Amino acid sequence: MLAAGIKTPVPLEELEIHLREEIEQRMELGFSAPQAFEAAIQQIGKANMLKPEFEKVEETKEARESKRSQIALIFSLCMFLLLFAAYFLFDSELTSGQRMSGLAAVATTVLFVYIGHLGYRLFPVILNWRARLITGLSGYLLYVLWVVVFVHIILPRLDFTVSQLFMAICWASTVPLGFLDGIILGLEKAAVKKTAMADS
Amino acid sequence: MIRKELVAASAEPLILSLLARGESYGYAIIQEIKARSGGKLQWTDGMLYPVLHRMEHRGLIKSRWGASETGRKRKYYSLKKDGKAAMTRHREQWSLVHGVLAGLRKEQYV
Repeated sequence: MLAAGIKTPVPLEELEIHLREEIEQRMELGFSAPQAFEAAIQQIGKANMLKPEFEKVEETKEARESKRSQIALIFSLCMFLLLFAAYFLFDSELTSGQRMSGLAAVATTVLFVYIGHLGYRLFPVILNWRARLITGLSGYLLYVLWVVVFVHIILPRLDFTVSQLFMAICWASTVPLGFLDGIILGLEKAAVKKTAMADS
Repeated sequence: MIRKELVAASAEPLILSLLARGESYGYAIIQEIKARSGGKLQWTDGMLYPVLHRMEHRGLIKSRWGASETGRKRKYYSLKKDGKAAMTRHREQWSLVHGVLAGLRKEQYV
């Protein structure tokens, strides 16, 4: 089994226990030890046939974990956007134009996330979860770099009032984040759908 | 000989139905299926475990390590709430197919 690539301890241990029980039963029926062993090995099945079946188990586990991380991502983004939305709705110092602009930024962010989720068919399928994780983390790193560049290099060159400054920061921080989260969700969904199709 | 697609399709409902009667372990599950089918449902022993693990990861069954009568370690499986719901769905679907087949067969002899 090890040679065929079934390495994880739990399946190996269970298969070993099953093999021993099979051998014991056959010896009780009168088989000699070598006969019982040979017959039990045949009953377990060929290792190269078992390996893809155990790999499907890992894929099922990955699909569940992927779904959990998608939910965590959407939840944290919703909390972030709710704070912005609450500010634009309840801060009395904003003009109605600024209020509308802020809410439009929140809505545009949500739209990008939704488009990414719906448009998963357009995304490349990255089946390896580590590759998807690296892609996502790289995206977040670029996002952080963008925010740093915007705040420290671009903004100082512009002459904004405090409210305009806040609007600019809002659009510059939320919309790219929505775009990035839309891509990450789309990639996750594309991978999960491809795995589910291969499994059925 | 039963077609392998039918053997594969019936594995999950059979396991769920067996575990609905009480917890069990891999070897016992295979022996019971063999006995009840008169030896016609032949699962390769090793193929049962990936199915059990998939069902466990999907939240249909749970497992615990226990000991056999001889003191050897043994993994016992039991049904979860989601597993009971899945079993009900399987039973409805199989009853539907069986009902249609039985009806068609009856018509052939009328």
